[in-house]
Amino acid sequence: METLLDIKGLKTYFFTEAGVVKAVDGIDFQVGKDESVGLVGESGSGKTVTGLSVFRIVPPPGKIVAGSIIFEGEDLLKKTNEEMRKIRGRKISMTFQDPTTSLDPLYTVGDQLAEVIHEHQKELSKKEVWEKAEKLLEMVRISEPSIRVKEYPHELSGGMKQRIAIARALASGPSLLFADEPTTNLDVTVQAQVLDLIKDLREKQKMSLVMITHDMGIVAEITQRVQVLYAGMVAEVAETHSLFRKPQHPYTEALLQAVPRIDLRKELRVIPGNIPNLITPPTGCRFHPRCPYAKDICAEKVPPLELTDIGHFSACHFWRTLSLSGA
Amino acid sequence: MESKSSENIPNVDQERMEKRREASQWAVAWRRFRRNKAGLAGLFIVLFFAFIALTSPWLAPYPARSYQALYEGAAGQSPSLKHPFGTSNSGLDVYSEVLHGSLGDLYVGVGATAIAVLIGIAIGSLAGYSRGGLGEVLLMISQIFYTIPLLPLILLAARVFLILVAQGFGLTLILILLGVFGWSGIAFVVRGEILRVRELEYIQASRALGAGRSRIILRHVIPNILTPVIVMATLLIAGNILTEVVISFLGFGDVNTSTWGLTIQEGYAYIRTQWWVTVFPGLATLFAVLGFNLLGDGLSDAINPRLRD
Amino acid sequence: MENNSANLLEIKNLVKFFPVYTRGILLKRQTGNVHAVDDVSIFIGRGENLGLVGESGCGKTTLGKTLMFLEEPDKGQIIYDGIDMVEAFRSKNVEEMRRIRHGIQMVFQNPYTSLDPRMTIYDILSEPFAIHHNVEKKEWKNRVYELLKMVNLEDYHAERYPHEFSGGQRQRIAIARALAVDPKLIVADEPVSSLDVSIRAQILNLLTDLQQKIGLSYLYISHDLSSVRQITNRVAVMYVGRIVETAKTDEVFTKPLNPYTQALLAAIPIPDPEKNRIKIILQGEVPSATNPPPGCRFNPRCHYATDLCREKEPALREITPGHFSACHYSEKFV
Repeated sequence: METLLDIKGLKTYFFTEAGVVKAVDGIDFQVGKDESVGLVGESGSGKTVTGLSVFRIVPPPGKIVAGSIIFEGEDLLKKTNEEMRKIRGRKISMTFQDPTTSLDPLYTVGDQLAEVIHEHQKELSKKEVWEKAEKLLEMVRISEPSIRVKEYPHELSGGMKQRIAIARALASGPSLLFADEPTTNLDVTVQAQVLDLIKDLREKQKMSLVMITHDMGIVAEITQRVQVLYAGMVAEVAETHSLFRKPQHPYTEALLQAVPRIDLRKELRVIPGNIPNLITPPTGCRFHPRCPYAKDICAEKVPPLELTDIGHFSACHFWRTLSLSGA
Repeated sequence: MESKSSENIPNVDQERMEKRREASQWAVAWRRFRRNKAGLAGLFIVLFFAFIALTSPWLAPYPARSYQALYEGAAGQSPSLKHPFGTSNSGLDVYSEVLHGSLGDLYVGVGATAIAVLIGIAIGSLAGYSRGGLGEVLLMISQIFYTIPLLPLILLAARVFLILVAQGFGLTLILILLGVFGWSGIAFVVRGEILRVRELEYIQASRALGAGRSRIILRHVIPNILTPVIVMATLLIAGNILTEVVISFLGFGDVNTSTWGLTIQEGYAYIRTQWWVTVFPGLATLFAVLGFNLLGDGLSDAINPRLRD
Repeated sequence: MENNSANLLEIKNLVKFFPVYTRGILLKRQTGNVHAVDDVSIFIGRGENLGLVGESGCGKTTLGKTLMFLEEPDKGQIIYDGIDMVEAFRSKNVEEMRRIRHGIQMVFQNPYTSLDPRMTIYDILSEPFAIHHNVEKKEWKNRVYELLKMVNLEDYHAERYPHEFSGGQRQRIAIARALAVDPKLIVADEPVSSLDVSIRAQILNLLTDLQQKIGLSYLYISHDLSSVRQITNRVAVMYVGRIVETAKTDEVFTKPLNPYTQALLAAIPIPDPEKNRIKIILQGEVPSATNPPPGCRFNPRCHYATDLCREKEPALREITPGHFSACHYSEKFV
């Protein structure tokens, strides 16, 4: 598969008063053409910051301190702000977790869509821009688009707002979409609608999708490949089926066992301890204080990301000898 | 380092022996405040003025409003060793007046603010707590008071007072007026904070535990809303001092008590030739107001309700 | 009066409305009501864990707060351990009110705002003793340490402040606080929703352990059906202020008899890519609770809706033993 996005050795640190927060500390991440990849982790894993780094919109005091982000053959980290502006929203797009705050309450839905359309397609006339805006609303399955287009965000429900945010992200036909927890703030039944929509759009538009989430259910449903992050580093990368059936990292195993399911009763596994402090993360493997299989070497040496099977990588010293159970 | 598959946090003993820094709200805030240079500067300035205000009866070489220099033939003189800030045409020792004036201005500034804070907390709390009519009415009253222009009001009142009673305003009266008309800002802040805190879960949890109203207000609500009030009060002191100086400068103030504004007013006519009479009290005003403002800003940064790391 | 009935808590026809105002020129006037809880009847047995699920606006949180008398009910009865709560509070019966405040406690969703940031853990956990005077002052320290131990925390944690703890630990402190008055029933309102996935199991397992050790009952309010499946005995599903289905947990999850429940269950992604399910994608959104649709509240989004559904609101009735559903056609799903 052709690689669309190739991130190597990304390091993004936050230089705060309390210390340097190593939010992303050496992450490799690839997305292929027309592929749906999950970026999974809990809080502090670095999944959102990775997304922000690609767009180079990491808020201060954050700074990208190392690595390369190759998109369409060029390193995004070497581009000027002007050049990045041509890429954001047009070639690569992002939707955010809270649809209420990602839409400006002062402008109508139509205005906000028109803004994006016009930004990247200056040649269109005003009439064409608004027609396109209505078409976009149709595309995201919003009923009565000609009426909606004149409404303000606060007049709409959460699910609708998120769909509009998606429409806005797809306005210029990007080849890659980052969706950061798009359904976390939505009701369950609305979540299903939005996920279904995202799946559908991805296929229709032949777009690559990076689904940033902490929900293993969403990962199972919508991704083809998964990358598991923990405390700013990669724990495991695999095709979705392989990850669930035969995880190769203790953290993945623990996560799968801690997550409850609605289709069966099971014993919920407790993962002791807490998400580590990113200013002074644990030495060696960052998961070792909570890992039931940890040995001395885990506290000393950072495990490298190794190939364990076709397309399957794990950053654990003992992937060879451990036999871990899946979902 | 060993890890255990238990419910507990690993390395319990290590945690216990770890040296912990005092973690109360105030300690955390103080540590943060300490690092804010501007805030510290403000604090020093405020303490400095408080000190000289309180010791002015003894520190000042001349008593307040004393025209002695005239009798000594030293009126209208530029700064010298005997009169470090010079003297006015009428025989005032500017240095003494500045010292005495600090007491006068701080008296008004702090006194007026104290009154405003008490009224503001009382009305703001009532407005924040009551559901329904009373809250609305109090809010409207606060809004009306907020829009009353304080300075013209006091000038007008002083004028009327003069006509009616043939006497100028006393400092205390000014203080009272400033307090009684200046509480609305505090009331808004208090009301807003109470609205916010009222619905927080720890308040509900206390209710669920059976705590009575007074316990909740005294132990839970008030301590949690004090901080923005403290910050506002500090800035209010600065504002009141400035207002008093303007009132006195315009001639509507207390002519019998030393204040910076009064001294400035006296020297204003001769500002070209005897600049020292206006400049020194003016600088004092500047620094005092600056000090309170910096202190207020520093406090505001330090006591930030954002508690998480 | 001793109560020997099997049920610890009985709620009958509970109604809680919130007035909606619009602003006039000077004053505001009431233009409607939010039907937060609209005629709800459920019960919780001793030592039982009842799950209360639904999406936003269904009224589950309001129900939880109302049954604790943090909100006053407009109509209906709440009987806790034989005591009529509405009567007790109305007549200010001190003894009964005390028993109620001791008996029912709450754990809130947000661990960051449910603990007073200005108090130490010791203060927070000993506050119940200060309020009720039921523990001697010299015993306070020991009791506090006992409580901390019950939630797997250490005694030296007592001197610390809430902001020094992680979300999961704070939630455990909140649970300890609830336990301080020896309650019989704990209303847990989304206790793990704000926590990271890997921490949730700690809290959920703690709740289950406590239930076994000291015989607590729970009302477990959540929108996360997966966790509800794991820890509850019975489940009640709410939609726009009403209960639409209730039965034993396993029954509801394996054989839901109400179209809304079916859609709800089908909507939740399962963390297993091998599992293939029939997707039920609903149209529209959860309706506003101010103006619920006429007839069955779910009818605009229901695939099976008929004219009857649009006209007549279905009552909650027993379809199979112990399994209740509010739908005109539930029999068809048996």
